[in-house]
Amino acid sequence: MVSDSSLNHRLTLLFLVLVCLVFCRNLTSIGAAPICTNAQTGCQALSLANLFDRVIQHSARMHGISNDLHSEFEQYFLPSKNQIGRVSRNCHTSTILTPNGKENAQRMAREELTEVILKLLMAWRDPLWRFHQGMAHNHDFNNFSSNKALEMSDMVHELRKGVEKVADKMQMLGIISNSVSSQVSPEALLPSDSAEWHLMRDYDLLYCFRRDSNKVQNYLKILKCRIVPEHGC
Amino acid sequence: MKEVMEEAVLLFLLLVIYTPDAQGTRYSPPGKPELTRCRSPEKETFTCWWKPGSDGGLPTTHALYYRKENSDTIYECSDYHTAGENSCFFNKNDTSIWVNYNITVVASNALGSTFSDPVDIDVVYIVKPNPPEKVTVTVMELKEWPFLRVSWEPPHKADTRSGWITLIYELRVKLEGDDEWEMHLAGQQKLFNIFSLRSGGTYHVQVRCKPDHGFWSEWSSTSHIEIPDYLHREKSMWILIAVFSAFIFLILTWSLHMSSHSLKHCILPPVPGPKIKGFDKQLLKNGKSEDLLRVLVVSDFPPTTPSNYEDMLVEYLEVYVPQEQEVLLEESKDLHDSCLKFEGSTSDNDSGRVSCDSHTLLMDKCGEAKEEGRQTDQEDSTTEAEAQGQQKDWDQDTLMYANGDILSPEKSSGRVKTWPSVFSPLPQYTLSLPDQTSSLEMAKQHCYSDSLFCPGSTSSYLTHLGNNDNETLGPGSWEICLSNRQPYSHIPQMQTCQQVRSHSDVNISTIARKQEPAGLPLPFFRPTAYVEVQRFDEEDMVVLQSIVSDHGFHEGFPQMLQQEDYSKVKGVDSNNMLLLQTEAMKEDGDGCRCQDQVTNGVTESSCTLSISTTPHKPTAHIHTVVSTQDEMAQPASGYVDTATIFTLPTY
Repeated sequence: MVSDSSLNHRLTLLFLVLVCLVFCRNLTSIGAAPICTNAQTGCQALSLANLFDRVIQHSARMHGISNDLHSEFEQYFLPSKNQIGRVSRNCHTSTILTPNGKENAQRMAREELTEVILKLLMAWRDPLWRFHQGMAHNHDFNNFSSNKALEMSDMVHELRKGVEKVADKMQMLGIISNSVSSQVSPEALLPSDSAEWHLMRDYDLLYCFRRDSNKVQNYLKILKCRIVPEHGC
Repeated sequence: MKEVMEEAVLLFLLLVIYTPDAQGTRYSPPGKPELTRCRSPEKETFTCWWKPGSDGGLPTTHALYYRKENSDTIYECSDYHTAGENSCFFNKNDTSIWVNYNITVVASNALGSTFSDPVDIDVVYIVKPNPPEKVTVTVMELKEWPFLRVSWEPPHKADTRSGWITLIYELRVKLEGDDEWEMHLAGQQKLFNIFSLRSGGTYHVQVRCKPDHGFWSEWSSTSHIEIPDYLHREKSMWILIAVFSAFIFLILTWSLHMSSHSLKHCILPPVPGPKIKGFDKQLLKNGKSEDLLRVLVVSDFPPTTPSNYEDMLVEYLEVYVPQEQEVLLEESKDLHDSCLKFEGSTSDNDSGRVSCDSHTLLMDKCGEAKEEGRQTDQEDSTTEAEAQGQQKDWDQDTLMYANGDILSPEKSSGRVKTWPSVFSPLPQYTLSLPDQTSSLEMAKQHCYSDSLFCPGSTSSYLTHLGNNDNETLGPGSWEICLSNRQPYSHIPQMQTCQQVRSHSDVNISTIARKQEPAGLPLPFFRPTAYVEVQRFDEEDMVVLQSIVSDHGFHEGFPQMLQQEDYSKVKGVDSNNMLLLQTEAMKEDGDGCRCQDQVTNGVTESSCTLSISTTPHKPTAHIHTVVSTQDEMAQPASGYVDTATIFTLPTY
């Protein structure tokens, strides 16, 4: 008698556990709300507009940090204004063709624009990481600047992933063709002479990155207002 | 010739020198121009302005040259006029975003040219848009409360629709006449509601905008809006405020009322009232301090009129003198107040002693108390006893005693009340009486040593007593010794230390009888006897007590002093003074220690003692016995019969 009741208890418990496992998996997957590229897999699908908003906010924050760091450098490490070589500052991303005007940017296809964005973000991953390393070891910079550099480096990484997701989403939605590959070959992105950016001074590096982060933000906005113009355009 | 040559040279020199001064200007190359600012309104074109330097007196032209990043091609500005004078306008074709421009202005004239300092700009960071356009302000109502709704549009040149520029807006409001504006940040929205309004008046509204990283635009043109008066709404608000405050006031009042009692205690603590016996608050309230004090004075202390002796008695001892017994008066220090503790019916709280009831004289209780008192008191200082005696025994009475043979037990059948509590302490006496019997002895000794000495007969008397203590001195018998040195009326020369025994009952100890068949021992007792008249009870009995003289006494029997004993009543003075005379009839005072104590008017004539009847101060009252005096004048024997005295009233 007692054994029967206990057996019943155990069976019900087991049944409940199994049911829980079956459903909980779905629940957890839904609750976590990962941004997935495929809507069929059952994960929570964010709208494209929402995705765009997120990446735009991310890029805005990244640009803000780079601006702050650049201002700090400009204060303490202000290069001589009379330096002739200033104009020929070469950012290592100058090889990447980027539209320099509104018409040029609007004339550019969405895929190209997306690819430009991805290229830029890819190009800055390693230099920023090394920059942060250099700042961490260099005692000239306080912890605040070092933390900012680290944050900047991380943000570039995160933003790139976000844009890749956006691109996947757009490809999924048929907005853009599949010509944009999420995985851009790193060799195409890195400057021809990888040693160049070693020579760049920190100040020039920050100057270049500040500009490039602004480009990314602007391109993303253009894309958003071109693709999903209903919110804030 | 030479003179002409010199003049020509001089003229030439003068011409050369002064010619420029005559013209007033110097030609020089132009001064250095300066690029003041470059601005782009929409991030598609931009304009640069410069400030020219001195022109050097010659027409000077300026030119702007620029060079783009990563290019060595120098371009010159193509439009110097669109943006006004000393400006260069870069159109869309010439403008590249995210490109570093190196711009230089050159001023040149006939004499030369001057380059300005180069300036590096990036168009992205020099954007200053135009102010917002089409600012509209409307008054709207929300639940009968007005607010302003401001709406605007971005400047038409700024392309926010394509996302090329992102603008954020800010507006400010002020009432007409105010100096300060109220700022509101609107973000990227183009609609804003202002609720912080006061009714009645004209409001000014302005809006401006800014790109993400750029400069604020100028304020838009002021928009005026007038808000109608909503006074009645404010009135209703005041009414509401009044009602609310009244409600709060009521609550406060109610709470105060509820806790008024505790508040009263908190703020005004109750004043403790006086706790004085006999204190009448009404008198105090009436404000008559004299009455109040009089009451205080009259009430208890000090007693001015011995009206009620019964009440004023702390304790008293009723002495029953048997007929054949002689009342021996002794002085005993030990017969202290505490000793005489009888089964008193009434006892004063303060006294700690039991006032003695005249009816009952319980030896035991008193004895025990006496022992205790003695044992305690004897260690104590005499002053204490004295103080006690003085304080509490102001109503004490001394036993008046006559000679030994006077004591007639029969006559002492009456009650004699004695107040031996007045006995003043003798410093010399430190009698410790462990037991009752010995205490008695000691008492006797004390008594004797005080004033009178009791020689042989006394000792025999004592021994007799001691022997017969257990037998005769039953409970209730008591020995009373007169206290010494009462400063009231010193009746000098108490002849005998008379021992008054009191009985609870009528029975008188036989000892006395035995002892004094004829008062024989008494004549031997010729000690110095200073009798003090102490107070009396209501029966108007004079109690005299012997007073110790000042010279030291040793324990034991005092020497026999040939003293007079004032045991003979001479007569009663006209002044109601009881005159006692010694038996010896010594006129003059050889050894007549007539202490003149005028405390209560007792003066002594030559060996006569007069007892005045005037009441005196607290410690003792001499209550003369008027009636007794008259009667006392009668005895022809010449001895003062204590029994007579004491029992006179009973007749």
